[in-house]
Amino acid sequence: MMKKATMTVLAAACLFFAAPALADDSLYRDLGGLDGIKKFVDVEMAYHLENPRIMHQFDETNIDRLKEQLVIFFCQTAGGPCKYTNHDMKVVHQGMHLTNVDFNALVEDMQKAMDDQAIPFSVQNRLLARLAPYQHQVVTK
Amino acid sequence: MRLVLLGLAVVAGAVSSPAMAGELPDIFDSGKLLATSGVSQLEGAGGGGLASWALITGYGTRNGVGANVHYTGVALPDYRLDSMGAAVGLFDRVELSYAWQGFDTQGVGAALGLGKGYTFHQNIFGAKLKLIGNAVYDQDTWLPQLSIGLQHKENDRGAIIAAVGGKGAVGTDFYLAASKLFLAQSLLVNATVRETRANQLGILGFGGDRHGDYSTQFEGSAAYLISRNFAVGAELRTKPSNLKIAHEGDAWDLFAAWFVNKNLSVTLAYADMGNIVIRNNQHGAYLSVQTGL
Amino acid sequence: MKKLPLAILMLAPMAAFAADPAHTIVQKGRRFHPGEVTINRGESLTFTNEDEFIHQIYVESGGFSFDSDEKAPGELITETFTQSGTFQVRCHIHPKMRLTVNVR
Repeated sequence: MMKKATMTVLAAACLFFAAPALADDSLYRDLGGLDGIKKFVDVEMAYHLENPRIMHQFDETNIDRLKEQLVIFFCQTAGGPCKYTNHDMKVVHQGMHLTNVDFNALVEDMQKAMDDQAIPFSVQNRLLARLAPYQHQVVTK
Repeated sequence: MRLVLLGLAVVAGAVSSPAMAGELPDIFDSGKLLATSGVSQLEGAGGGGLASWALITGYGTRNGVGANVHYTGVALPDYRLDSMGAAVGLFDRVELSYAWQGFDTQGVGAALGLGKGYTFHQNIFGAKLKLIGNAVYDQDTWLPQLSIGLQHKENDRGAIIAAVGGKGAVGTDFYLAASKLFLAQSLLVNATVRETRANQLGILGFGGDRHGDYSTQFEGSAAYLISRNFAVGAELRTKPSNLKIAHEGDAWDLFAAWFVNKNLSVTLAYADMGNIVIRNNQHGAYLSVQTGL
Repeated sequence: MKKLPLAILMLAPMAAFAADPAHTIVQKGRRFHPGEVTINRGESLTFTNEDEFIHQIYVESGGFSFDSDEKAPGELITETFTQSGTFQVRCHIHPKMRLTVNVR
């Protein structure tokens, strides 16, 4: 579950300071809006911490903060009213020397989490389609 | 035949067991997403059923290696085709495959004076090289994943092939394949252009008394991903008509593929191979099983 | 010979900003180096990101606090410690990073 500080950051990024909602926020709504995204990110993170392929990537990481950043990023990517203002995916991930195995393991955890939240497969694919090109920035090995 | 199938089952069991998986070297990374390496097509290459795709077989990512074995059976009204083989995918860049095919003429063999159950055999050696692109990750561009490949085929019935008007028992197909996953639409599409002299995929030899040289043929597939484990689709493959004795036309199929996990897939199809020698309307059931990692 | 005064003029402001080892903290390996430092009230620390990761610094204490922007590899940030006491400088991205600053 997310702490109060996290809720404040989310509120800021997603409601007060965000850009006006894009004309097409259908994917955002189909994911269940902010609440739906928060729920599957919670579950997704739990899967990452148990995934032998990638769990150690998170040993040094502030998990609560990471979850909040993921929510903002997915919300914005899906056309929701959020603004991701941190560094780009390349800079964020370069120190981790990630491979396609790592990237795909993360995707698989996301898929499991979205399955758990009963997000339809076709909706999952619409989100993944927008995230897939980040492989070029995130994977450096 | 039964021994071979038993062997395949043993391999499947061994590869699927967690204990075995833990002992494999890291280079077998099984890192690709489920279903993104296709299945084994009729000539042993990574692809659909009839079509060769630009995807590299196996679940190894660009840092690793994948391998699999397959069995395919096609039960047509008057003929039976069995195929089995193995393939490896190297660093998501190179694919090497081998397939053995047995084409049983059953009653037609008797009608042709060859003997009932007369069987043609082919050894098919395949190689594929990915040129550019990534069908899965490149969601922000129209550019497909592009691969070139060849399938070198050797048929063991040279004399009969000559008797039906075929020019030779050995031939090589060359192809250029483009594959793309339109992820937002859950749709995988492939288009392949093939230079070939093969008669009935090489089962009746290469070149013929109507047309002896290479011709350009097309194969296409479209697959809709219903869920992470299931895809349904259709394929079309054009074939040359090189022999005077029989008109050879297009083949098509409707398929359903079940990706049980990264170690096992089962593909069921309804395939229409058209006219084969003296029998028309050769359509029937197609079953393929691939096991590997 | 003419070039020398110009060179000195150019170097002077640089010297003001140049890394004074006693007041430079290196972020590397997702740790602060050194892990503890003692300075006088009113002095500054320059945090230089020599890591492969983005870092941030913050102090949360009753009388004295700050919360910086995130800095990418190669960037630096300077903070002035205006209060005496012992403070824990941390990174909100990497919670295991801790720097103890003793301000006289």
